[in-house]
Amino acid sequence: MLAFTLRRTAIALVLVWLVATLVFMVIHLIPGDPAELLLSQGGVAPDPAAVAELRERLGLDLPLYTQYLNYWAGLFRGDFGVSLQDEHPVASEIALRLPRTLELIGAAAVIALSVGLPFGTMAALKPGGRLDRIASLIAGISLSVPVFVVGTLAILVFAQKLGWVSAGGYVALAQDPVRHFILLLMPASTIAVGLGAVVFRVTRSAVLEVLGRDHVRAAQARGVRPRLIILRHVLRNALSPVLTVVALHLGSLLGGTVLVEYVFNWPGLSGYLVRSVEARDYPEVLGIVLSISVLFVFLNLLVDLAYAALDPRVRHA
Amino acid sequence: MAHMLTRRSVLAGAAAGAFVPLLGIPGARASTPGILTFGISSFPPSVQPWANAGTASATVKLALYRGLASYGPDGKIRGELAEGWSSEGKNTWVFKLRDAKFQNGEKVTSADVKWTIEQVAGEKSTAFLRTEMQGVEKIETPDDLTVRITTKQPTVTLPLMMASYHMPIMSKASTAAQQIGAGPFVLKDAERGVSMDLAPNPHYYRPGLPKLKAIRVVVYADENLRVAALQSGDVDLIEYVPWQAMASIEKDAALKLDAVDGPFMAIVFNGSRPPFNDARVRKAVAHAIRREDIVKSAFFGRGAPLAHLPIPQASPYFNADLADGWKYDPELSKKLLAEAGHGGGLSCKLLSTAQYGMHKDTAEVVQQHLAAVGINAELNLPDWATRVSLGNRGQYDFGIMGTSADSNDPDGLSGYVDGSLSPSYVRSYNLSIPKLTQLFQAGREEFDETKRKAIYHEMEQVAIDQVPMVGLALRSQGYAMRKEVGGFKNMPGALSFYSGQTFETATVG
Repeated sequence: MLAFTLRRTAIALVLVWLVATLVFMVIHLIPGDPAELLLSQGGVAPDPAAVAELRERLGLDLPLYTQYLNYWAGLFRGDFGVSLQDEHPVASEIALRLPRTLELIGAAAVIALSVGLPFGTMAALKPGGRLDRIASLIAGISLSVPVFVVGTLAILVFAQKLGWVSAGGYVALAQDPVRHFILLLMPASTIAVGLGAVVFRVTRSAVLEVLGRDHVRAAQARGVRPRLIILRHVLRNALSPVLTVVALHLGSLLGGTVLVEYVFNWPGLSGYLVRSVEARDYPEVLGIVLSISVLFVFLNLLVDLAYAALDPRVRHA
Repeated sequence: MAHMLTRRSVLAGAAAGAFVPLLGIPGARASTPGILTFGISSFPPSVQPWANAGTASATVKLALYRGLASYGPDGKIRGELAEGWSSEGKNTWVFKLRDAKFQNGEKVTSADVKWTIEQVAGEKSTAFLRTEMQGVEKIETPDDLTVRITTKQPTVTLPLMMASYHMPIMSKASTAAQQIGAGPFVLKDAERGVSMDLAPNPHYYRPGLPKLKAIRVVVYADENLRVAALQSGDVDLIEYVPWQAMASIEKDAALKLDAVDGPFMAIVFNGSRPPFNDARVRKAVAHAIRREDIVKSAFFGRGAPLAHLPIPQASPYFNADLADGWKYDPELSKKLLAEAGHGGGLSCKLLSTAQYGMHKDTAEVVQQHLAAVGINAELNLPDWATRVSLGNRGQYDFGIMGTSADSNDPDGLSGYVDGSLSPSYVRSYNLSIPKLTQLFQAGREEFDETKRKAIYHEMEQVAIDQVPMVGLALRSQGYAMRKEVGGFKNMPGALSFYSGQTFETATVG
């Protein structure tokens, strides 16, 4: 088990290094110069000498391999570097924004599961019934409408027409918990629309599949109460594919909440990444991508190790 | 089973109902008297006083800092930290300071002015006016309130430079981390990328100003959300009103729109290679475009066609006889192309960006009209950063550009019209027209108003003939606010981005 753990950890570290190096190369290869961009904002021509001076100050005039080595030297010291735009430390900005994105994804998952699971189960219990047909139709629509349309519509209806909520924004939990959760509700629900539809569909088919299994039929034959059969024998077995799919989706949401963050002005990590790319803020882009990929890779590592702990065959495969 | 379903749906309904009172807590609020919430389009990358960091930064800088001169709400230049100025001979300007204080309560003195100019012109400077201030030969400070600035070349536009939002006077006690200016507000707090809080500066020199108790600047990057935030009452004032929303804001009884035709769209050329190193081909482009279509499709009718240099009609330097200099005349275009040896048609690449709708839409209209006269332009629409980079390096044939002149003075156009200046995406690449450069220099050195007008008339005539760039359209630049907001004004013409100046007189409720 120790050898397996070490091997897997080594692979994970190599993966992280590969991702960081690839991103470093790509972001430096694409056209666009951060110093030039920063000084020519608003459609004005900067003084070339001022651009050269800024480039030197930011260390952008050094050869690429020197910049690369400096970057890794910084990482080993636990230093993600500073933003090229205002010299703000990248690590502290990520520490501020990553939890906000995680909170958004977490809240969306809770909403999606609490809607998708019960309705998926109910739909599977009476396939072709009225509830199944209506819920499947809604799920189909939810899956096909893009997230920014849902978000924009939600703002139009709930903020502009009804005036129930703010048209997006963010208030820290410590500052005003009630407003914090109200502002969280709209973007989280918007993500949950698509995610809930996925949960509904997976739950429905998983429950249908389990319902036909022998142990369920045996329980029915024994005269176990229908409610107990569903909770103990069906749902417990149907849940594992649901969780796998939800976990996969949550992973991809880590860098993919851009549109929702944009539409609702949620100051999370995804929107930060997009703005960093637009500004060619190399340390910010690298820091964010590195954080996300480390999270990804190590979550996978944990899953691998958990499988191995549960099932000895995996270790020797 | 049916029972269970019913019970559950009842429960679910009850749970949903429980949310409604929670939602009912009003997000929409009435304006708080004295506190202005301003929805800005992007978070200022920095509020360093002298470097250009875009218009969002400039707007905030205008609330925090003051220069020797400024523009009044009517767009006219006026004294700010300087009461007045006069020229002594052709190369010297004398500025008389008024009794004003910095944010730390210390007096604004001639020594601070001298220090400021030296910082801007310094070797390690990244200031926007670095080159211009390096044109200063010496700065004398005969007393605390007098500054005598001698320039190497006659510079009639020095007071204009002193009114630039890139030229605030800062206390010589300022450090990179602690900027001390003399504006009506101080920066109290900022959450990077999200918001800034400004508080009144108790030492501000104008009596009774600022009127506001606080300004809260909140970033709304999405233009539609910015409008929604105004309509739902989350913010009192927004900038960069999207053109498609202007009509609905005008109709809304709770809101008002303040829009001016200021910034312009133009075509810039690569003068270092064919086909646009030939003035006839450039002129053919200028006459081939029906500009009304651009105003209609890119700006929802909010703007005006521009068939000459972007000199506003209200300017004393506006030349009525040249206003239609590049009028739509496809036959003339075809003739010019034939003369230049492109009678059989011409293929080239048009650079723009897909990142901003107005750049992309303008490019598409231009492409269509050029096709009609036989110029087959292939669109290249990378992201903005790439577009800037390609433009600065001259890696394009011709491109779409959108910006605002530095000021309403015609010298403010030199950076966009004079292609002999350093390579930049904002102007044509390597397209030197010596006569134009000469005339701009003459305008900078001429103190007599009538003679100056004649110089800029000739300059525009040369531009119409030689086509260093092509004016396409003036676009409407709008601020929108709640009815309760007063005293904030969109400044005229090219000065729209100076509107932050009027935060000092703004009121709410």
